[in-house]
Amino acid sequence: MNAPVTAFPQPVTAARIGIGGPVGSGKTALIERLIPELQARGVDLAVVTNDLVTKEDAERLRRSGLIDPARVEAVEAGACPHTVIREDPTLNIAAGDDLEAKFPGLQLLIFESGGDNLASTFSLDLVDWWIFVIDVAGGDDIPRKRGPGVLRCDLLVVNKTDLAPHVGVDLEGMLAEARRVRGDKPVAATNARSGEGIAAVADAIARAVLFAP
Amino acid sequence: MRMIQQILGSRQDADLAARLHHLDHHGAVDILRVDGADVARRRLRAVTAGGEEIALALPRDQALFDGAVLLLEENRAIVVRVGAERWLQLEPKDPADALELGYHAGNLHWRVRFAEGALLVALEGPVESYLVRLGALVEEGRVAHSVVDPAKDAGGA
Repeated sequence: MNAPVTAFPQPVTAARIGIGGPVGSGKTALIERLIPELQARGVDLAVVTNDLVTKEDAERLRRSGLIDPARVEAVEAGACPHTVIREDPTLNIAAGDDLEAKFPGLQLLIFESGGDNLASTFSLDLVDWWIFVIDVAGGDDIPRKRGPGVLRCDLLVVNKTDLAPHVGVDLEGMLAEARRVRGDKPVAATNARSGEGIAAVADAIARAVLFAP
Repeated sequence: MRMIQQILGSRQDADLAARLHHLDHHGAVDILRVDGADVARRRLRAVTAGGEEIALALPRDQALFDGAVLLLEENRAIVVRVGAERWLQLEPKDPADALELGYHAGNLHWRVRFAEGALLVALEGPVESYLVRLGALVEEGRVAHSVVDPAKDAGGA
């Protein structure tokens, strides 16, 4: 059992993390799993979702019953999703500031990028630390393509591990390749449908930005 | 683990400089080395040169810089030293090549600076991975390239 984060000293501001990755790789599903996992550790959190021209992901999270709907804000990118997490993250920063003002004591803000391509990266003006999610069904050659998202993120998550045998992917080979291209930076394997591997992702977040032991 | 939630000032600020100078004589100024790529992070977990673990959680309107003073006590101080950033210097042969280079650098979302007759690209990976993206511009010698490494240049190594 993990120690509640309230057991160690917490800063007055909320940590901000990003979750990016290609369309359909499982960013929202990962967040749906992380919310209860982090809540169980006593983390006070809120989410900002980004979509192209709708608020689809925010509505999905608000209806999920996992989190107070007021703790979910939506930003419509209106253009390539990376423009609002890297080139000009003003809208997301404002949404985060709004949530921090509304919920004093907030410890963690999660920014979910709209689905993008492998070149997508987060500005460190917006987030302190970020995850890039790819999935097994996207093909085992994705790590080898060395996209900036895959190389530069603080944690690479390879999701949908359960699909490997159905799409002809050698999962161990794909993970080994991901570790090779990333050098010292970590890689995690998850199945967001079953919850497998989610605790390790929550551990990484707690350690990196919530200062867990 | 020591938590730091504000920057006290710059080591060059007159009042801080005098106190740091005094502490330095007693070997009491510890250094927190931060990579150029990490300098924009408001929250960071790191270990000082003296071995103390730091939990940095700055307000959103503050950012680290070289010489930022994080701690100043009677017997101890912690000052940030930012690792020098490496740059790829690209020099196009003529205006047409310069236009093409500018197009590629923008399309690839590279972080750039401008120098006299050259484009400087911040290196966040191996040089080769940048040069290969420029394809014919580099292969045909239409853009000359070199690496600017302030740490090496300053150290003479």
